[in-house]
Order: sequence, then C-alpha cells, then structure tokens
Amino acid sequence: MMHAFTEAINSFSSPVAIFSTAFALFALFVTFPKFMTSGPVASAFGLLVVAFFAVGMQNPHFREMVVKPDNVPIIGLIFIFGFFTWYAMRKAVINDDLIEQGKPTIEKTESEEKVMVFPYLIYIEFVVALVYAAVLVFWSILIKAPLEDPANPALSPNPSKAPWYFLGLQEMLVYFDPWLAGVLFPTFIILGLCAIPYIDNNPKTSGYYSFKQRRWGIIAFLGGFWLLWILLVLMGTFLRGPNWNFFGPFEEWNAHKLVPLVNVNLSEFFYVKWLGMGLPHNLFIRELPGFAALAFYYGVLPVLLQKTLLKNLHERLGAPRYAILIILALTMLALPVKMYLRWAFNLKYLIAIPEVFFNI
Amino acid sequence: MPPKKPSLYSLDKTHVAFAASGFILLVGLVWMVLQDSSREWKGWQRKYMAMMQERAQTELKETQAKINAEELKKLQAELAEAKSTVVQHRAEIQKAQNELDQITNRFNKVKTEYQNLKQFQDSDRYFYEEYADHHEDEKARVYDKRLKDREGELAQAKLKFEQITAEKEAKEAEIKTWTGREQEVSKKITAMEMDVTLAEGKISKFTPSLAKEILNAPMLDFIHPSLQIQQIVVEKLQDDYYFAKAQKVDRCITCHLGIDQKGLENAPQPFRTHPNLDLFLGSNSPHKLEEIGCTTCHGGSGQSVSFTTAAHTPHSSEQAKEWAKKYDWKALEFWADKMLPLNHVEASCAKCHTGTVDVPQAPKLNEGRRLVTEYGCTGCHKVEGMDRWKVGPSLAHVQSKLDGDWIVRWLQNPKEFRHSTRMPRIFNLSNASDPESLDKNNAAISGVAAYLMKNSDPVTLTAPVGKGHAENGKTLVETIGCLGCHTVGGQSANHHGPELSGLGSKVKPEWLYSWLKDPKHYNPNTRMPSLRLSDQEASDITAYLLADHNEKFESDRPPYVKPEVVADMAVSFLTGTMRHEDALKKLNAMSPEEQLEFVGSKVIAHQGCFGCHEIKGFEDAKPIGTELTYEGTKDLSRFDFGFVEIPRTRQAWIFQKLKDPRAYDRGKVKPYFEKLKMPHFEFSDEQADAITTFVLSLQKSSIPLEMQKVLDSREKETEAGRLLVEKMNCQGCHTVDGVEGRVRSIIEDAGNAPPILDGEGKKVRERWLYHFLKGPTPIRPWLKYRMPTFGFSDQETHSLVTYFNHLSNVHERYVEDETPVTTPEHVKQGGPLFTQLQCIKCHQAHPDAALSSSFLAPNLEMAKDRLRPDWILEWLKDPQVVMPGTMMPGFFPDGASPLPDILNGDATEQIRAIRDYLMVFNPDEKPAAAAAGAKDRKNTAT
Repeated sequence: MMHAFTEAINSFSSPVAIFSTAFALFALFVTFPKFMTSGPVASAFGLLVVAFFAVGMQNPHFREMVVKPDNVPIIGLIFIFGFFTWYAMRKAVINDDLIEQGKPTIEKTESEEKVMVFPYLIYIEFVVALVYAAVLVFWSILIKAPLEDPANPALSPNPSKAPWYFLGLQEMLVYFDPWLAGVLFPTFIILGLCAIPYIDNNPKTSGYYSFKQRRWGIIAFLGGFWLLWILLVLMGTFLRGPNWNFFGPFEEWNAHKLVPLVNVNLSEFFYVKWLGMGLPHNLFIRELPGFAALAFYYGVLPVLLQKTLLKNLHERLGAPRYAILIILALTMLALPVKMYLRWAFNLKYLIAIPEVFFNI
Repeated sequence: MPPKKPSLYSLDKTHVAFAASGFILLVGLVWMVLQDSSREWKGWQRKYMAMMQERAQTELKETQAKINAEELKKLQAELAEAKSTVVQHRAEIQKAQNELDQITNRFNKVKTEYQNLKQFQDSDRYFYEEYADHHEDEKARVYDKRLKDREGELAQAKLKFEQITAEKEAKEAEIKTWTGREQEVSKKITAMEMDVTLAEGKISKFTPSLAKEILNAPMLDFIHPSLQIQQIVVEKLQDDYYFAKAQKVDRCITCHLGIDQKGLENAPQPFRTHPNLDLFLGSNSPHKLEEIGCTTCHGGSGQSVSFTTAAHTPHSSEQAKEWAKKYDWKALEFWADKMLPLNHVEASCAKCHTGTVDVPQAPKLNEGRRLVTEYGCTGCHKVEGMDRWKVGPSLAHVQSKLDGDWIVRWLQNPKEFRHSTRMPRIFNLSNASDPESLDKNNAAISGVAAYLMKNSDPVTLTAPVGKGHAENGKTLVETIGCLGCHTVGGQSANHHGPELSGLGSKVKPEWLYSWLKDPKHYNPNTRMPSLRLSDQEASDITAYLLADHNEKFESDRPPYVKPEVVADMAVSFLTGTMRHEDALKKLNAMSPEEQLEFVGSKVIAHQGCFGCHEIKGFEDAKPIGTELTYEGTKDLSRFDFGFVEIPRTRQAWIFQKLKDPRAYDRGKVKPYFEKLKMPHFEFSDEQADAITTFVLSLQKSSIPLEMQKVLDSREKETEAGRLLVEKMNCQGCHTVDGVEGRVRSIIEDAGNAPPILDGEGKKVRERWLYHFLKGPTPIRPWLKYRMPTFGFSDQETHSLVTYFNHLSNVHERYVEDETPVTTPEHVKQGGPLFTQLQCIKCHQAHPDAALSSSFLAPNLEMAKDRLRPDWILEWLKDPQVVMPGTMMPGFFPDGASPLPDILNGDATEQIRAIRDYLMVFNPDEKPAAAAAGAKDRKNTAT
C-alpha cells in the first residue's frame, strides 16, 4: 500500500508535472476563489497536505528530508504561507460579497472601534514577543543547529545548494544562463517590485481586502510569488538531489543517477531539423531564428497586445507605463515559457553564442 | 474617546495569554540551562571519581592492614610516656617558653634593624656606582661617604643579630630537652601512617560533597568546578581546517582520565591505562602525551567531548552494535577524519616513521608491508618511496621452460596446480563468470599463452648428465640449503621461493637441470642463487623434483577457444583506436594465430602482467593500478562502494577489495574490458587485515619534519641493507638482525645449522666479507648447508657489508684491513699456547668425520684474512659474551690463565700471543703442533 503510494508519487513527479499541477491549482484558485477558500474545501486541502506529510513520513528518505534541521523551516513555510494566502483571499472574497451587497467591508466595520495603544496594542505585542522567544528557545533545544565538516575547497558537497531563500534562483539556473538567472532576473524582480506603486495607481482596496477590484494585480503577484518563487524553493530543497538531478519525494538520492542530456538549440532545430542543412558559419545568421523570436516576443507582441487584448490597459496607463509593465510582465512570463519549451521540445537556448558566453 | 470595554480586545484574555506564554518561556529557559549543563563527559567524570574513591578505600584498608600494629602500640605507649614527662615539667617549660617569647620579640626587632640597614646600604651602593660611572663625582662622593659611614653600624647590627640568634637557639634547645622526645615519637607515628593519610586524602578528594555540587551547578560552574574539561594543547602540531590551521587541542583526557596513570590497567573503559606507557604517553617515553597528543595517532575529533562526536570508530559490526546500545553511538556524518579503529591504529606510525623497512613495535603494519612486498602489489600500484622488484619469474625466455598448453591450464586457476602459489587468479572471477565472459576468458588466456610463446627468446639448455638418483636428490634438497627458501616435500621453513611441488607436470628435465646449475643463465635477474651444484648433484635433484606430478592438473584439458570470440575481442581492441570498418579490415589481414597473439598482447597490457613478470614488449609499460601513495587519506567519496553493503569507511572498502577484488562490480552492467581487473590473491582475513593497516598508513603527512623520525645516513644505509636481506631472504637461513634463521626450526642438530650472523660486522674483515659475499668459499666444511652464490652486484655487496658494520656498531671503515702489529715474541709464545690449548682439535683443516658437527669449528688458516684482529682478542677473552651459547670453550675464566708457565701466566698477553700466532698461522708448516695437541689430551682446557 505504502509502496504503491510512494511509487505513484515518484513516477508522477517531474518538474513539468509538478509545475503544471501547481499552475492548474493556482488557476482554479483564482477562478473560483469563493469555492476554494470556503471552509470545507480549504480545510480539506489543508488536511490533504498534512496527510501527505504524515503518510510520507513513513518513508525513511522522506522523513530524513523533512526532519533535517535545515529543512524544518521550509516545511513551516508551506503551512504559514498557505494559511496567510487563504486568510487574505478569504477576507477578500467575503468583502467582495459585502461590497456587492452595498455593505461596509470587514475592515471598515472593525475600524469603527478604536482602543488605546497602551495597554491594548503594547500588551499584545509583548505577549507575542514572549511567544516568539519561547518558540525560538524550544526550537533551539529540540533541533540542533546543523554543523557540518570544515569547508574543504577540494571537495564540494553534492548537491551544492544555495541558502534556501536563493533556491528559486538556483532552480532558474537549470533553464537560463547565470547572467540571466543570477543577475538580470533578480534585478528585474527588485525593480519590478519597486515599480508596482507607479504602474498600478488603482486607489481601490486600500485598507481592505478585495479580489474583484484588483484581480489581475493579485493574480500577477500570487502567481509570481507562489509559482515562480516558493514552488521553485520547494523543488530546490526537496526534489533536487546530487548533481542537481530531479528526484521524486520518496526517491533515494543516489549520486550515480544518470539522466540523458539531449537538449538542443533553436538554431539546430531550425537549420538542421527543419531545413535539413548545416549550421551557417556566420553566427548572426546562425542565431537569426532566436533573435527573430526574441524580437517578436519583446517587440511585436506588446504592440499586438496593445491593439487587442490590452487596449483598455494601454489607454488607462499611457504609453510609458504600459511599456514598462509589459516588459516586466513578459520577462516574468519568460521563465515559465522557457521552462515549458525545455520540457516540451528539449530546447536548450533560443540564442546560443557560446563564443562570447551569450546564451538566452 | 475609545470605549471603556472594547469588544474586539479583551485584557483578561491577554492576561491569561501573558501568564501562559511567560510560564512556557520560563520552562524553556530552565530546560535550556539544564540541557546545556548536562554533558556526557560530566557523567564519565563522576563515574571516574566514584571508581577512584572505591579504589582509594581499598587502598586505605590495605595500607591500614600493612601497619605493624604491635610497633604502633609500642610507639603510642612511648608517646604517652613522653607526654607524661612533659606534664611533669610543665612549670619549667612554661617558664622557658615565656623567656623564649621575650627573646623572640627582641630577635625580630634586631633582625628587622639589620635587614633595613642592609637595604639602605645596597641602595646607596647602586647610586654610588651609577654616579661614578657617569662621572658625576660630586654626587658619587656623597654616596660613598654614606656607605662608609654606615659600614660600622652595619657590622654592629650583624653582630647583634648573630648574638640574639644564638641566644634564641639555646633557649629552644632547652625547651626541647623536655619536649623533644614527644616530637620525635609523633613524627615516627606520622611516618608510619603516611600511606594511610595519603589514601584518606584521596578519598576526600574523590568524595562528592555539597560544596562540590554547588560549585558544579549550572551558572556557578565558572568559579571552581571539580568537573572540568581536560585538554592537551600540543604545541608543535596543528589541525588543518583547510582555510586555517589551528593548534592541536585534544580533549580525550576529559573522559579517558586514567590514560597515563599506572595502576588502572584493568579499569573499565574509558578509564583504562594506555598500554605500554614506556613507549607511549609516559614522560620518559618517546611519544610523550603533551608532545604528541591523542588524535595524532588515533585520529578523530580531538576537540569533541562526547562519544559520538569524537568520531570513535568500531573495529567490527558487533562492536558497532554494542556501542550503539551502550553509548548511543552512530557513525558521524560530518567529520572526515574519523578515529582509526584499534585494529588499524598502527597505520598512524607511518605518519612519522618512514623510510624504514620495519617500524619498531608495529607488528601488524610490518606484516602488511611485508605482504605487499611479497605479493608484489607495487607492481601495479605505485607507492611513492616503495620501489620493489618484480616478484614473479621472468617470462622473457618462457618458451624454453614451459609449453603454451601448460600456461593455458595454469592461468585458468593457478591455485589448482599449486595451492601455495602467490600467483593470483585473474580469470573466471565473480564479475567475469557469465557464459559470455567465460568464452572471452578462454580466448584471453589462450592469447596470453600464444603471445608469451611467440615473444620469448629460447635459451640453450643442457640435458642432465647421466641418470639422476631421486633418493640422493631428496637428501640433497633437504640438506644443502634449498629449504632456506623453498618448501619441498612437506619440509617447510620458508616460502620465499615457490613451493617445489608438481614440477614433473610443469618443466622439462633439461630446463630444470640447466636452471639448477646456473639460474642466471636462464634469467639474469633472478633472485635464485646458485648452490654450485656438481653435474651429478644437479641430475639427482632434477630426478627428485621431477618425480612429483600433479595428476589432476595433467588430466585437465585446455578449454576450446571459439575463433569468433577471439576475432570479436580483437575488434573491440582495435575499435578503441580506429573505426569499425578499418578494424575489420585490419582483422581480416591477420591470420587466426596473429589474432590470438594480438588479443594476448592487449590482455597482458590490460591486466598488467608485466607488473610481476618480465615480458618482452612490455619493458617500459607503466603500472596499471591506482596509485596508493596517499590512499590512507584519499577522500571517502572517491571510493566506489558499488552495491556492496559494508560500512562506508576506508578500512572496510580496502578489506573487502582484498578479500574479493571484483565485489564492487556486483550488480553492475559493464563491457568485458571495463570490468574491475584486480586479481584474486585469496588472502586470509589476517593477511587482508594487515594489508589494510598498511594501505591506511599511506598518508599525506601533516606532521612537521622536526617531529618526524628522520633517518641519518647510517640508518639509511642500514635500511638499504635490511631491504636487501629481505629481498634475498638471508634470514631464511641465518639468524641476524633480531630474527632467527627460519630454517633452524627444522634442523635438529644446531651444529648443522647455518651460522648466526649477529655481530658479524665486528667479527670479520670488510674486505674478506666483500669477497666472500661475491664468491663464497666453505668456512665450515662439515656443514652440508651451502652459502649460495647470489651474484650480488658491487653496489649490493657493499651495501651488505655496510649493513653488517652498522648492525655491529662498527664505525671505523677499512682500518681493519691492515695487518695488526705482531711481535716476534708473541708469535713465538703463541705456538705453544696454540698447541697446549688444543685449538686444532676442533678447528680442523680436514674435519674428522667422527666428531659431531657441534664440536667442529672453522679452519684457522683463514683467520688472518677473515677475522678482525681485535675481535679475536675479545673472542678469546670470553666467547660466551660475544656469542652466547657457542661451543667454543672459554680458556681464560675471569681473566686467569690455565697455563702459568707461558708469558708469566698473564691472560691478556697470552691472548695477544694466540692472536699474533693466528696472524701467521699456516697448518701445513706445523704438523707437529697438531700432533702434539692430539697427544696431550689430558690437558684439555676447561
């Protein structure tokens, strides 16, 4: 029984399956927020996750991964982030109903009532501080800080993993070159987060939760956060083993696991596979398909969207803000796009110029 | 204004939350402090104290029992009597005491005055000298005057001080006349009870008390705890943490508290005394605890103070289980430098002791190294600093010795032909015994045989002269020295050379005869020496050795070799360097024989046969095995454990590799020529264990040079000789260098055994020894054992001569080659002495067959060329001192001569005379002397 369960999970597990499942769940979540955040569904979902861990802990490898002192906070992260996402969405859904009915939002009702900072706020903060201190003390007693060997420059651990909060970036390295995954994308993330208030000047939902009034903003944020960050951190922590190979949650980490590496570049697809000719010697001609694809993605696509789907948005934001938004959004989307291209076509690079270490 | 009682916030609830969280935090903090202060090592220290307290109590009882009760009683009675005397004179004593008090007061005053004056005088002297030196005469004069003025006063004060001291002493003596006896007796009693007092002191030291508990309590234990971490800071050694080096700090003694204490040899661990304190740890030992530490030899994490984190390593899985149960032990995941298990701890000796053949007092390590030499491991595995010879026979002329068919059957499984062979099994092992591999094995073996037969030069062989007598041959083999290296016919003292069994199924008479006559004719590099056999002797031995057949082996037929398999293997070799099509072309150009030979050459290259054997075409081939120079410190992740379930340790891996070299291929899918190829030596567990210790000793040393044992030039020369002695198996016959001649174990009459060579360097002249080693001549004609002619090179001979010199602590070189100054008078007197002491009776030129070997001695004609003149003096003085157990009688017991008439009976002079006589002795000139000796039997010396 247990064996069948772990086998099923392991054979289902692959980056594409997990990513697609998560994507589908997320789509479900934002399409039917009211249903998904309702008590029974949310608790069923929460229980399912707990049950998965409870059952999974029977497996020695999984247990070792979960109780490893380094990984404990990341298990906590799943539940804490899940809870807060549910909590906010739940309130947003309730508020949406209230707004529809013309009633004041929960926050509005609550803020009618005012109390003094002292004792009410300070006291509660103090109690919370005590609780946190107690939690940290118990944590440090029960789970010892993981000390490893003195670092040996001649011998790197396998897998070599970044700190957990950077595992998302490390996972991106599977699909992009370091200058993109390690430099450009993080820069865009920071700039993009800074740019939010300037791009999104919608005055609604300030001081209260609401989904309907800010649907695309919330979808973009939660999607980026959950799918492109937290999910990658989780995958990097639990599912990436020696040599950064992908392992199912119940699969023994074997350093000798071999997987075929058969990725090809777009130029090879284009010239060799489709045109049946050799690769051109001139590297610009050789990489022309990639440049064209990129030009289409960043040059033509925004214009097309402006004319069609995003006409309203363009009008509301004006050209400069639209341009910034669309570039940020397309860059963010580039990650899943490239991931799916890799999974679907074994695409290695759109543009591959190893001569100057420029690969996209 | 906010409402008095807000509905969303409840202070009462917050109070409860506050109380609860405060309480929980308090519990957490208390728990934290307790957990922090509860340490494994404290438990051990408490146990140690309890044990020591118990021991001290036993000691107390023992010491109490040892006290002579009667004597004590007597002393106590005496004390009582003395006390009563004191009581009787109480008034006088009191009076004297009062006077003494007054005197003491005055004494103190006078003493202070005198000392103060001296202080001033010294201070002024300093200033005077300083000013005088700086030519500030004015000031100098002032101080000079002060000094002179005070001189008188000082002398006065000294006188006064001496007077009062005398007065005080007189008074004290007066009091002592009454109390002295009492003091004396109590001192005696104290001395008698000294051991008891010491034991009591120990008990109180090890007995727990409230005060100690308080001082050991958490938070207070910084003041003066009795439970403390103990450590050794090793000044000259460092631990390498890759990016930084830190001084070695070993805290092992925190729990191993009795490690350097005598008397705890039987205590339970971890308190037991280290074995052999004179060699390790002791303050007079070469490995002092504070200079070497613990982890330098044992490995592990010296700074850790718990059983698991110190990286203790069990020596067996049973011990691992026992530890897990007893100490909650588990293998440490994150500490590369684990402790060496005790059965391999000798590996650490090699960290400092390198460059020697043997490491003193490390039997297992030495055995491992010896096995590695014997089995020729370095033929395939390079080990820096360990250059050895090829251990197998040369195959450069093998076609004259064997036929191809024999080689094929032999390679199938050498042990089947001869169980004791050191030739390992190469084919048909666990990872190559599937049907397909078996076919390939057969092809490979045939290929090797074909290659060897084709690529060896014939040598001229001589047929045995006449018909050999096997009976005679057997006697010869057993008596002339073959047993010094070989095991033959159940007679086994040595296994240096191959066991001489089944030769009838192996070689032709011509070959064996020629080989016995001159081994170097067939193989110039062989270690087999020549025993200078006559034609008849060689024929006899040939007949004897060839009579032994291995019938089972003879009946074996070489397996059928499939031509397509040979072709297939040839192609797989060819495609390594060329395209498949070209390979086929090349293959088709070869005849089947050529294909076989080609496969053979590739298999030889693949298996590295040339590591042990000389093979034509592979003179410059590189060894094929993994270099082992630093195997003992190679990172564990670089050992491929495959699918073999053994502990993930170096020692387990090496042991398994030695026991079953192909085990790590288990469950792997590999092409034939990518399979593991180390051959199977069928080592016993003990052998594999010893070799494992040796391999673990191959480490990158982190010990600074000044801490290592560095050989001086003498030691290096000695070691070079020692290696040669091992290579040529001198100790197979001779007792030398602390090893008894192995062949002695099967010789009944010690007189027939090859000579003992202890002290040889002192005994014989270097020139003589050199020439003797080059071309031995009989010294003891009655001995059947022959010193073989090894054909040593000049270099080797010189090395051996030097070796014998060093062993005997002979420092002067070449001076002994000069003839000593003899005086005609001594020579003249030597003659009669020689006759009267009947030297010739045992030292016969032509030994009397009637005399037992034990009574025969070397011909003295050789003495002048052979023996060192000074040695003769020593020898004659007392032979038993030079060679304990010798049959040579001592003629001059306690320096007295039995012959008072010659040279005034002076023993030293007489010895000198005999020596000088020997220097000119020629037996043919003095037949009279021998005859005289024979007549004068009743004068037989003591």
